[in-house]
Amino acid sequence: MQEVFALENISINEKIKTQMEAFERIAELAVSNGIANSPQPVIDGLHEREKESTTGFMEGFAIPHTKSADVKKAGVIVLKTDNGIEWNSLDGSPVRFIISLLIPEDEAGTTHLSLLSSLSRMLIHGEVREQLMNAGSSREIFETLNTSLQNQ
Amino acid sequence: MSKIKIVAATGCPTGIAHTFMAAEALKIAAEKLGVEIKVETHGQVGVENALTKEDIRQADGVIIAADKDVQADRFVGQPVVEVSVGRGIKDAEALIQQIIDGKAPVYKASKQQNTASAEEQEAISGSSIGRAIYKHLMNGVSHMLPFVVGGGVLIAVSFLFGIYSADPNHESYNQFAAMLKEVGGFGFSLMVPILAAYIAESIAKRPGLVVGFVAGVIANTGGAGFLGGIVGGFLAGYIIVLLSKLFSSLPKTLDGLKAIFLFPVIGIFITGSIRTLIVNPMTAINESMMSFLSSFQDANPILLGLIVGAMSAFDMGGPVNKAAYVTGTALLSEGNFYFMAGVSAACITPPLVTGFAVLFFKKYFNQSERNAGLVNFILGSTHITEGAIPFAAKNPIVVIPILMVGSAVSAILTYLFGVQVPAPHGGFLVLPVVTGAIKWLIAILAGSLVGAFLFGLYKKREASKIQAEDTELKAA
Repeated sequence: MQEVFALENISINEKIKTQMEAFERIAELAVSNGIANSPQPVIDGLHEREKESTTGFMEGFAIPHTKSADVKKAGVIVLKTDNGIEWNSLDGSPVRFIISLLIPEDEAGTTHLSLLSSLSRMLIHGEVREQLMNAGSSREIFETLNTSLQNQ
Repeated sequence: MSKIKIVAATGCPTGIAHTFMAAEALKIAAEKLGVEIKVETHGQVGVENALTKEDIRQADGVIIAADKDVQADRFVGQPVVEVSVGRGIKDAEALIQQIIDGKAPVYKASKQQNTASAEEQEAISGSSIGRAIYKHLMNGVSHMLPFVVGGGVLIAVSFLFGIYSADPNHESYNQFAAMLKEVGGFGFSLMVPILAAYIAESIAKRPGLVVGFVAGVIANTGGAGFLGGIVGGFLAGYIIVLLSKLFSSLPKTLDGLKAIFLFPVIGIFITGSIRTLIVNPMTAINESMMSFLSSFQDANPILLGLIVGAMSAFDMGGPVNKAAYVTGTALLSEGNFYFMAGVSAACITPPLVTGFAVLFFKKYFNQSERNAGLVNFILGSTHITEGAIPFAAKNPIVVIPILMVGSAVSAILTYLFGVQVPAPHGGFLVLPVVTGAIKWLIAILAGSLVGAFLFGLYKKREASKIQAEDTELKAA
């Protein structure tokens, strides 16, 4: 599980203002942390997915995700922003917590996929969302994610 | 009251996140509202936690929260709430409440389909084996019938151009007639495979169809005729039933593999391996029948007529019938025109039996049988014995002996009258060259009417028996 979550992939106090900026930031982190080869395919992929239907769901959470040949290994990028971002989310609330799932195109092994589906499941639980939203540090988020995932 | 049970299916195009969020949201909501739920997810990794038929049948309602196809036709007849995957995440409680309140509309309105197929399955495994066998035969026959009529009539029409009109070396050769005979022949050649295929389909659904087809082609090309096709069809169907029992312990995820790989490959292999059981005896029967028959060619006309008539009507195109026919043509080339006259009469009779039967005993036959019976006047008149097969195949044990009696009467009278027929086929179209044409017609008519009355009386008895059963049921 440590494979999927990494402290370096979690960033708080982000100053991004738009969805596009969020995608760019996700791509930037993905490339610098060795998840993706180059930023543009990741940005495009996230954008494409968003066009199909919104990935923003409730209480300020969004889970933009994409599957791309440019992604080298499965990874989760977490961004916590200081201000809300318009995301056209299910409950209309601005997004302040972004959990982005990046998956390699040829991800044949289902281990990562099921981990990610567990991640999606856990975000449905209100208390998990609350803990994440109130977390004051990257490490706190990292630990919350890991603990909740284990409880799944 | 027991807990309300709900089944649900969730899915989204990428199948990575929302599918599972919706599933989780529904579970949480179900727990909160005190209902039981099973959620099937259509994610990137495939279908997980798949709903079984039993799950769906027992459910009080269905929730579909998906932006992709989740095979919703499984839920026909159930109260179904169908929404986007997003609403499944956001409004899970409201969706479940809708089922609890009974406000979900019933998905399409044809629950009969489900109950009918359930009954079918019960009929197969149930005690009424006879009824089940009849049902399988009927399924084969009803699918075969159009092939017999379509192919047979085209062949019959080609004979109108002259009975040798399809032979390029004959002076009466006509390209159009040859084409009619050829395409009609293609239709005809599918008759036995279709019969076998749909008998097997009735027993074992679609996997049976595949194996039944192959069994039918084996029976057909092996010269085993329609009786071989019936045997092959039942064999194929029960092989699949057996295989599905053997494979029932395999995990559900292999269901797709079973349908498109295991059943066809193993089923065809087994059927093909035991083809010798269907086909090899046929050659033996055919040969021994031929030598048996030639030893009787100078026997007294009544005995000869009895044998020829019984043989010709026995399997209509199968090895026994072929034995009589081939012996007839062989003797024809030796200048014996008497023998063939009886064979032809016996081959013409079975379709005419069915034609007269539906004419005189109309109310005991259904509409498609009535139509087929009338077409059989054409097929019989042109020596296309196969026209009677759809009637015989429904209940071979009773109908074939009736047809044999009719054909025997025709053949016996033909031999007694000393009729001579110099052509191997063509039916009444060769009447101008027949010596004793009127007597021959009388002989065939007599045999056909005898058969028709026996057939009609049998159908009448059947009908009154069913009626008696019905009244018994009502009284009980």
